[in-house]
Amino acid sequence: MRKKILFVTLFLLAAVLLSGCTGATAWPGLSANGEVAYLAHTNAVYAVNAKTGAKLWNFSGEGGGFLNMNPSMFVTTPVIIPDGLLVVLDSGNKHVMYGVDPNDVSDETPHIEWRFDQAKGHWIASPLIVKNRMFAPNSDGNVYVLDLDDGQSEKDAIKVIRLSASSGQTDRLWAQPLTDGTRIFVTSLDHRIFAISLETYEVLWEKQLDAAIPGAPALGADGMLYVGSLAKKLERIDPATGKNESVLGQEIKDWVWGTPIAEGDNLYFGDVSGNFYSYNVITGELNWDLKLDGAITASPLIFRDQILVATESGVIYAVTADGKTEIWHQPAEEKSKAYTTPVQAGDYVLVAYLESDYYLVALDQDGDVKWTFTGK
Amino acid sequence: MKNPSNQSQAQQPQLPEGFSTETLKTIGVIAILVLAFMNFSVVVNLMINIMIFIYGLVGRSFGLAIILFTFLIRLLTWPLNAQQMKGAKAMQDLQNDKEYIAIQKKHGKDREKFAQEQMRLYRERGINPFGSCLPTLIQFPILFALIPAITYAIGSAPLSLLKLSRSLYSFQDAAALVPLNSKFLWMDLGLPERTVILGASIPILALIVALTTYVQSKLTMPPSTNPNDQGAATARIMSIQMPIMLFLFSINYPSGLSIYFIASNILSIVQYAMMGKVNWRNLLPGGKQ
Repeated sequence: MRKKILFVTLFLLAAVLLSGCTGATAWPGLSANGEVAYLAHTNAVYAVNAKTGAKLWNFSGEGGGFLNMNPSMFVTTPVIIPDGLLVVLDSGNKHVMYGVDPNDVSDETPHIEWRFDQAKGHWIASPLIVKNRMFAPNSDGNVYVLDLDDGQSEKDAIKVIRLSASSGQTDRLWAQPLTDGTRIFVTSLDHRIFAISLETYEVLWEKQLDAAIPGAPALGADGMLYVGSLAKKLERIDPATGKNESVLGQEIKDWVWGTPIAEGDNLYFGDVSGNFYSYNVITGELNWDLKLDGAITASPLIFRDQILVATESGVIYAVTADGKTEIWHQPAEEKSKAYTTPVQAGDYVLVAYLESDYYLVALDQDGDVKWTFTGK
Repeated sequence: MKNPSNQSQAQQPQLPEGFSTETLKTIGVIAILVLAFMNFSVVVNLMINIMIFIYGLVGRSFGLAIILFTFLIRLLTWPLNAQQMKGAKAMQDLQNDKEYIAIQKKHGKDREKFAQEQMRLYRERGINPFGSCLPTLIQFPILFALIPAITYAIGSAPLSLLKLSRSLYSFQDAAALVPLNSKFLWMDLGLPERTVILGASIPILALIVALTTYVQSKLTMPPSTNPNDQGAATARIMSIQMPIMLFLFSINYPSGLSIYFIASNILSIVQYAMMGKVNWRNLLPGGKQ
């Protein structure tokens, strides 16, 4: 009898362990100013000295509660706001957003200045700060507008902009909004893009595309919005009216995930099959496309005179404006995966890895490792 | 002239000595398990595509798709479950058998001798001692694969959605299907369920999983009159242990999985009822087993 009970217990434990093979459900979020990098990685947000890689502090939320039923998860890119606070978002079951003071640290944990817990879904998108307003898209289909100057420690949304479809389904909002100074543009997994007035918070227009839009739009040199979608298309959208057309259809080979980046007349973006594209918004022509060795979910980073592209294989490629490419950095661990957009901090480029012992790696201008951060 | 039936027997391939058809079944089940784990991603992808196919048929409700998928799994494993019930019943009958009880009394303290006599009885009665647990084993890969299958299919986080894109067969219209509607009743199937009641976050669905697991195990517990019946004692302990474990499991995993557990428990009760094996008195306080 004992053997049978032991057997069943072992089975259940194995089930739990095996199901853990599903691993993380989102990739890290990374931001930096010149001196400090902020990394949201699985169970905590870390502040790391950008010059040395030393950990300054970490923040792991307010605990999982009874039986750890509400564990915290941090995957959303932390945002530095004008008053010096850092906004971190718990993507666990509690859906809490925190404003923490990175300069007021005790026991290696920053002090919580305020919190916001009214969202009903988890956070994937980073909020957008415009003056003293924060626009925070959530997976519940709402954009929460917060007043950063209200002095409240428990914040209330001054406006909840509901973008959900009337059917009761939620439009998951995964991308940080973009602003052109008068409007914000919000994309949804429910195939839609919205323009919202910065003054009145009214939806000015919305446009249905052919598939989900996990990334944010980019503003091209021609003043038009450009956004990729899971329909394997790049759409050009008039920011004033929402009128749209597909500018690249057949040429794009797979889902476009990350936000395109504009540099001069060109846009750079990748797809999940590892194809990397350069598109001239003025001529409307595809300059070139390259095949790299892993899915591209991150936005490219313009660093000095080259474009750095992170791929799922963990390799960072350096691409020149005329399409010449080389491996700029090869991770030491083959299992390392780079889904997150690299950031520049001072002279270094920081790359956040998933499924690696190294959470964060700092690379110099030649792609050589200057320091690594393991979360400890 | 030779007897035709003897002739046909003679033509059948003979199993090596010591090999029985039950041994072959055991090897077959183990082979399926090994193959399933070696090709884990194939199994996961198959499940995802079946669920998404059903999802398209039932008006984009992933909750309904999981329930119908569970029904399908139950239907496919019906013969195995029936065999499990048969095996459990045979073991139960043996526990109440006079000869078995006599052996227990005679050799209860001599484990080796008792085991020998027990095996002799198994052979004489044509009982496979693993007959009731092998069909259960076959369900393990289904459960293991179902966890990532539901997590990826719902795609409630970026990595899941990316993995889903690689799991879909070419005939699925990914652009139109994604994102899947993860809302079902009051919950998001891609996340662990919590309901706030009077300010407290209560895992209602996990509690329903525990309750249905308890009821299912109680209802399907066969009657036993033998006080030394080890099988009955195990079943009693399991009827407490399993609900607790599945509760702990459910509070940490996507609620879509809890829907599977609940549907599976209810369908199991229905199957037992259809075969006349449900013991309703077990639910009554002080009800005899």
